[in-house]
Amino acid sequence: MNELDKIPVRQEISVAQGSVKRSNPLANVFDELVRFCQSRSMFMLHYCTGCGAIELPPAMTSRFDMERLGIQPMVTPRQADILLITGYVSVKTLKRIILTYEQMPAPKYVIGICSCTVNGGMYWQSYATAKVLKEYLPVDIYIAGCMPRPEAVISGLRDLMGDIKSGSASNWKRYFQNYDHYLGNQQKLFDEDWQTPTDIIAEAEHYGLITDQTLGEHTALLQKHQQPLEALEFSLGEKREKIRGENQ
Amino acid sequence: MRPENYEAIKQPPSNEFELNFGPNHPGIEGNYAFRVKLNGDEVLSARADAGYLHRGFEKLMEGRLWIQNIALVPRICVPDPVPMEVCYSLAIEELCGLEIPERAQWLRVMQLEMSRLAAHLFAFGGHAATTGMYTPMFWGVADRDLILDRFEELTGGRVYSIYNIPGGVRRDMPDGFLDRLGALLDYLDSRLPDYDSLFFRNQVFIRRARDVGAMTQEQALKWGVTGPNLRATGLAFDVRRDDPYLAYEKIDFDVVTQPGGDALSRNLVRRAELKQSIRILRQVIKHLPSVKGAVRCPIPNPLAWNVPAGETYTRVESSKGELAYYVVSNGGDKPYRVHVRGPSSMHAVQVLEKLAVGSRLEDIAQIMFSLDACPPEVDR
Amino acid sequence: MSKELNLWLDDLLKDIKIIQFKRKNSRRVRIDIAPEALPALLELLQGRASYVHLSAISCVDWIEENEFELVYHVWSYETNSLVSAHTRISREPGVYLSVYDLYTPAAFFERDIHEMFGVYFEGSPDMEKFILTEWNGPPPMRKDFDSEAFVNQTFNWEEYHPQWLKDIEAEGGGITTRPEDVR
Repeated sequence: MNELDKIPVRQEISVAQGSVKRSNPLANVFDELVRFCQSRSMFMLHYCTGCGAIELPPAMTSRFDMERLGIQPMVTPRQADILLITGYVSVKTLKRIILTYEQMPAPKYVIGICSCTVNGGMYWQSYATAKVLKEYLPVDIYIAGCMPRPEAVISGLRDLMGDIKSGSASNWKRYFQNYDHYLGNQQKLFDEDWQTPTDIIAEAEHYGLITDQTLGEHTALLQKHQQPLEALEFSLGEKREKIRGENQ
Repeated sequence: MRPENYEAIKQPPSNEFELNFGPNHPGIEGNYAFRVKLNGDEVLSARADAGYLHRGFEKLMEGRLWIQNIALVPRICVPDPVPMEVCYSLAIEELCGLEIPERAQWLRVMQLEMSRLAAHLFAFGGHAATTGMYTPMFWGVADRDLILDRFEELTGGRVYSIYNIPGGVRRDMPDGFLDRLGALLDYLDSRLPDYDSLFFRNQVFIRRARDVGAMTQEQALKWGVTGPNLRATGLAFDVRRDDPYLAYEKIDFDVVTQPGGDALSRNLVRRAELKQSIRILRQVIKHLPSVKGAVRCPIPNPLAWNVPAGETYTRVESSKGELAYYVVSNGGDKPYRVHVRGPSSMHAVQVLEKLAVGSRLEDIAQIMFSLDACPPEVDR
Repeated sequence: MSKELNLWLDDLLKDIKIIQFKRKNSRRVRIDIAPEALPALLELLQGRASYVHLSAISCVDWIEENEFELVYHVWSYETNSLVSAHTRISREPGVYLSVYDLYTPAAFFERDIHEMFGVYFEGSPDMEKFILTEWNGPPPMRKDFDSEAFVNQTFNWEEYHPQWLKDIEAEGGGITTRPEDVR
């Protein structure tokens, strides 16, 4: 954590400044414009986590055509806004989902499609699938059904658009505010030494979303299992010379 | 964990890389991953990493009634669910010695071929997308949707129909269904030349897919390749013809082969099978009105149905290859053991690992889509 | 040709004393054989009778007899018939020989059975975890592993108690569970 303190963090570019008093009267108008734009250009991460993904190609292509609403598939989590969890999540997938979710830039939204994300669905007896998705990630909208039709998917996305526009879709903040709770559930399911490459606490500081729920016993466990920073081995030059020597 | 601690940074500089290909990757069909070792962009070795879609179907089925599992089985292969239901129903019928009515047999053939059409349209659309052509994908998915509409009319479900039960099918067709199906077939038939000129005879595709992921017939037989992928190496084998089930003995169709064994040949086989499926469906439409009678035979109360003890191995030809169920009953109201042999369990694991070696990184997606691998069949 | 080959095979297999031979129909044959003789039988079937395609290896856990049943389904493209060779091994060490040298597809099935049942195949090229890499429990397909108890112990459930249900309960109704379904 100490290393990160040295990096200057510019607070004024943070998105989550709703609580800060503004001097400019146009600021709220500007916020509304930003939210309008956000709701009309949603990039959906291209990750088929379960069987509900079979209804996404019809929804995206010419018949139902989600692109007319500004929803497009995006291949990398770094540029995506929406994470669609299409169906049951096996424990192995859930790890990747959390890694993916943490890499997405805020504001980010999670949609749970299919009944399985709500309560395990028809795989409730299965030893391999996680049951309640919202224990591990904050979910914005559930679209129930097995599987929901493309119209239902589009209708759910339109609901999300409305929420974004009105500013009420702020569940992504809860992940930073209650990080200890979510991390606790993840540690309970995976293992005590569960680690992700993203430093959520530093990001929460960056967004100004640290609350007394962010840090706790589970994050202490996280830091305990974290590998300490080591000085990098600086042997690149030698090895390069060695390789050069071998080539000659 | 910080980026500074990643192992790769401590390695000496070289041209060799190790990449995680998937599960979150647009070139992967479904939720599946590879660990790929590369030299530049040439693949040195590929290692499949499955289990992202594992739900423990075989365990779940042991805990549910025979009839409840009908709702479970189509989920094993999402793009092509009907063969799963039919194969499981055939297994139970064989264990119980049930003789299903002829009309139900023809209705099952009709669904199987509709499902095969839908799956092949989806497969060639997906393969087109991996070569950078998105229009065929849009066309394929949109035309598949028309078939799903007919499924919805027939069964009530778009993707998972759950129309087959042990002993037949749930109910008869709605009035005028065959006319609408015939109109759809006419439309699809008229679309095939368009697909040809857009995709299958497109030089961009042909040059991109020729000699990619090629295997010989001996290799295919050795590696356990089945279905269209085996037929693309020149061996005319089809479970529908050589191990016939349902009404396939009375139906006239060709088993299409191609000599090449590469991604191009596999696609051309699927293209020809679209034509054959339309031909089979036309025969069904012609023959079905003359078959009168019930659509299912009487079965005992399904909630207290003790299937006689025994074991059976039933096979059907799905759009991916040979699909088989090994079902064991100990005389109880639940299956004692169900083993699902999905065709992709060969194609997506061993065959892909071998075909990927020596190809280029961008061709892995093409090989996977040309094999029409379906990850949930591997994971179950 | 294929009929003759089938008849010839029937005669041959009926003569061997250590196996039980049963023809179910024209395209299905069941053979029960001792575990020591199974690789030899498969070698015979593959090398002399064109059964080149290993369709599947299934494993059944017969917990009451304390045995695993392994079933090798092999298919001949020439005679169009399927031989299912059944053999039983003891459940306790749960070790058997791999047939990878005869049939390449065996690698996948043996790895799968090792993962799901805990049967170890000697000589198989790869016995690493494949599907259940994140799983630390016992092999889940064994009959003594209770999936439902594991789920109830590990996972929480979503509370669902909507207003309409509360209204019904206020009038004395509600959801009841039959006594035999209470877990």
